[in-house]
Amino acid sequence: MAALLSRHVGRHCLRAHLSPQLCIRNWSLPMAMSICHRGTGVALSAGVSLFGLSALLVPGNFESHLELVKSLCLGPSLIYTAKFALVFPLMYHTWNGIRHLIWDLGKGLKIPQLYQSGVAVLVLTVLSSVGLAAM
Amino acid sequence: MASLWRLSVLCGAQGGRALFLRIPVVRPAHVSAFLQDQPAPGWCRTQHIHLSPNHYSGSKAASLHWTGERVVSVLLLGLIPAAYLNPGSAMDYSLAAALTLHSHWGLGQVVTDYVRGDGLQRAVKAGVLALSALTFAGLCYFNYHDVGICKAVAMLWKL
Repeated sequence: MAALLSRHVGRHCLRAHLSPQLCIRNWSLPMAMSICHRGTGVALSAGVSLFGLSALLVPGNFESHLELVKSLCLGPSLIYTAKFALVFPLMYHTWNGIRHLIWDLGKGLKIPQLYQSGVAVLVLTVLSSVGLAAM
Repeated sequence: MASLWRLSVLCGAQGGRALFLRIPVVRPAHVSAFLQDQPAPGWCRTQHIHLSPNHYSGSKAASLHWTGERVVSVLLLGLIPAAYLNPGSAMDYSLAAALTLHSHWGLGQVVTDYVRGDGLQRAVKAGVLALSALTFAGLCYFNYHDVGICKAVAMLWKL
């Protein structure tokens, strides 16, 4: 019965050309954090590439672009939110990256340690993002 | 005859001390890298990684690539606080280099994982190379002709 149910659950994933495992399998924290590490990495790369390419292609220097943003007279809360949105993926990728490097040393690979370090990374991400956006 | 290097990572009883032993063992070819867990008395964990530099230069290159990725990651990790504490032109160019190399290799791993098929993978990797080259050129242009990465972040944050 459970097998039939799970097969049905996975079917809409197949329709979307995704792996049925994405719907059947129970998501775990390490699994979710791993894909977020990749997601933030790709997003940050896109941001850096966008910055680099616009330096080559868009006319006007950096200061003039900043003046343009200043002229919009955005509220401080909006600016804080924007800073937070910029720094959050960077902080997540950085802290989780350190976690990855610790794994590469062969440490912290037991399952409970995975969850502990994962939660630590999430807490550190939020705290450092809040702190950096306030600077 | 291919020579085999055995790299053993041993964990002491206190836990944490890592000892690296290299014992050359001569064996016939056709050995690929493998990992095995062998609990032995006195050690808490043993990993045996076999590398064959003569016959499998591909795996040696892959191993060096892996190490290079970690080195650049650690370098970038150190550069970020260093750039905050000591901004300047040298820091700008170091950041540009480390950032683009790290993202280039990272995107390469994503392509390797999701783009299946030899021809398509090579084409997409060429695209990633072009993007990374352009990004690096753009960052260097920014460092040279404009305020530079460190100053730009400082100016943006003062907004």
